[in-house]
Amino acid sequence: MSILNDISENLQRGKAKVVKELIQQALDAGEKPETILSEGLLDGMNIIGAKFKEGTVYVPEVLVAARAMNQGAAMLKPYLEEAGVKSIGRACLGTVQGDLHDIGKNLVKMMLEGKGIEVIDLGTDVAPETFIQTAIEQDCQLICLSALLTTTMGVMGEVVKKAEEAGIRDKVKIMIGGAPVDEAFCRQIGADVYTPDAASAADAAKALLTA
Amino acid sequence: MTNRDRVKAVLNFEMPDDRLPAIEWASWWWDRTIMEWQKQGLPANLGFHDIAPYLGLDQHYQFWLPHRDALCPQPKFFGGPIAEDEEEYEKILPHLYPDGDVDRQLEFMRSLKAGHDAGDYPVWFSLDGGFWFPRTILGIENHLYSFYDQPELYERILNDLAEFQLRQLEKIYSILTPEFMTFGEDMSYNNGPMISEDCFDEFLLPYYNKVVPYIKEHGTKVIIDSDGDISRMVPWLKRVGIEGVLPLERKAGVDVAALREVHPDFLFIGAFDKMTMRESEEAMREEFERLLPVMKKGGFIPSVDHQTPPDCPLERYHIYVDMLKEYGRKAVED
Ligand code: B12
Repeated sequence: MSILNDISENLQRGKAKVVKELIQQALDAGEKPETILSEGLLDGMNIIGAKFKEGTVYVPEVLVAARAMNQGAAMLKPYLEEAGVKSIGRACLGTVQGDLHDIGKNLVKMMLEGKGIEVIDLGTDVAPETFIQTAIEQDCQLICLSALLTTTMGVMGEVVKKAEEAGIRDKVKIMIGGAPVDEAFCRQIGADVYTPDAASAADAAKALLTA
Repeated sequence: MTNRDRVKAVLNFEMPDDRLPAIEWASWWWDRTIMEWQKQGLPANLGFHDIAPYLGLDQHYQFWLPHRDALCPQPKFFGGPIAEDEEEYEKILPHLYPDGDVDRQLEFMRSLKAGHDAGDYPVWFSLDGGFWFPRTILGIENHLYSFYDQPELYERILNDLAEFQLRQLEKIYSILTPEFMTFGEDMSYNNGPMISEDCFDEFLLPYYNKVVPYIKEHGTKVIIDSDGDISRMVPWLKRVGIEGVLPLERKAGVDVAALREVHPDFLFIGAFDKMTMRESEEAMREEFERLLPVMKKGGFIPSVDHQTPPDCPLERYHIYVDMLKEYGRKAVED
């Protein structure tokens, strides 16, 4: 249906207001909320994510598209709840202790949400214990760690250790990313997945949650 | 050869007689690094400008011109906005673009004139650029939205900025002629530029076109300071007359040798992978070997590709400085 296409395209251009109007039209026309979500909003966000990964759109474009997605998703939320639609999983995400860089982390959050994953954002400068405690209390299947400094990337290793100590290591997957981090470091500290960008992070998270 | 003339030579794509300059361009040291080094024997009473010569580096002076006064409101959280819209911008205007603060700083520059004339040190200055400055006003994230949400405000800020900077430049050139200058921007990251070329052209190009020609007329080399992988941006920068880039961050994927192939006439400062300094002497030597062929081609001052990190022990830093000079000599041998 072309209205879903219009939603996707306007989302890609960051037109939040238009997206919301179109969602209302789609609902009025009897379209299912989960179809609007997946074939309108998430479809648009997927396309933006892929373009971001290949370097044809940039950070501001992702931000305005994600804003349109979030506003649209908020509008759909009561309908989705009513219809009993659940997210595909839950993640907690944060920038590790000592580190205040958060642009990348925020993009990861948006992209994960764009895959229908629920994300608990713990912010920046987050202590290892907080990740573990949140994962336990909120029943997260994923812990996502961001670090931009060589002096803070070591904290990621501590989170892995703390997850083992808390006995939840086999219940959560740990994903890491940020400028100084790479695949070798991921293996070294025993985390599960590293990706170089937010769109790949979302693909990997979805794969982990639906495996 | 004097410190100043070595730098001048490289900036003109000539080879110094004895060796390349040995500088840490990020002359505002990472505070944590200095704290660590003090524990390892760096005298605590060294003045800010005395650290480099103490460590065996060539003296140079950087002036980062103040763009706001001391009473300017601070962001409520790290990276947060101090003005989110036009009305709030107008409220803080009295605290922005402080001529008086610049004048006080230029007093210090005046005191350096004799030494500069004698060649004891190069002098350079830094300006907040058209990406960086609005970011400090609008807040890190809002700034990225503002290209879409408030393009008029963005343009207004850059007009005010250019006007302010042109005024200050006139004062600088009445004192002395700095060898080079940088626009602080940080508009790229590990995966390349943060903004598109269209966005660059729409917002930043008009700003640069106002400020850059004036600086170049005076013979100061115009360099952009942007972390991350700048490679894809170099052609955009060249279009506005920018002549070089620092720090060419290795970990972000910058390949300085490949860049040199494509841009034989662009100035480079930095490119030495700071990550090797956390590893070992051998890793640093390997890194210098990687850079040596590019050093030999000229127009390149090798230097750490950002502030030296706190996990580089002082002893290893001494070795680094010795190697920097060793390879700086090798680069000029024919
Ligand atoms: C912008 C920036 C800042 C801003 C941060 C603002 C903010 N709110 O985030 C400011 C100016 C405040 C800043 C401060 C500092 N910075 Co800084 N900063 C940068 C810069 C230029 C860009 C970072 C960025 O925003 N990138 C844009 C986003 C979109 O990219 P990203 O974060 O990499 O995220 C992407 C991927 O990495 C991935 N990803 C990110 N997180 C995650 C998580 C998971 C789970 C996954 C799977 C993927 C993933 O997806 C994202 C999108 O694709 C980098 C340079 C660089 N190479 O990255 C330096 C850099 C990170 N900073 C550096 C430094 C040294 C500092 C300071 C210590 C400087 C100082 N002496 O004060 C302070 C530290 C403050 C602190 N305690 O945190 C150094 C670190 C070097 C080192 N030794 O570690 C860098 C690398 C610069 C350099 N050239 O060396 N910085």
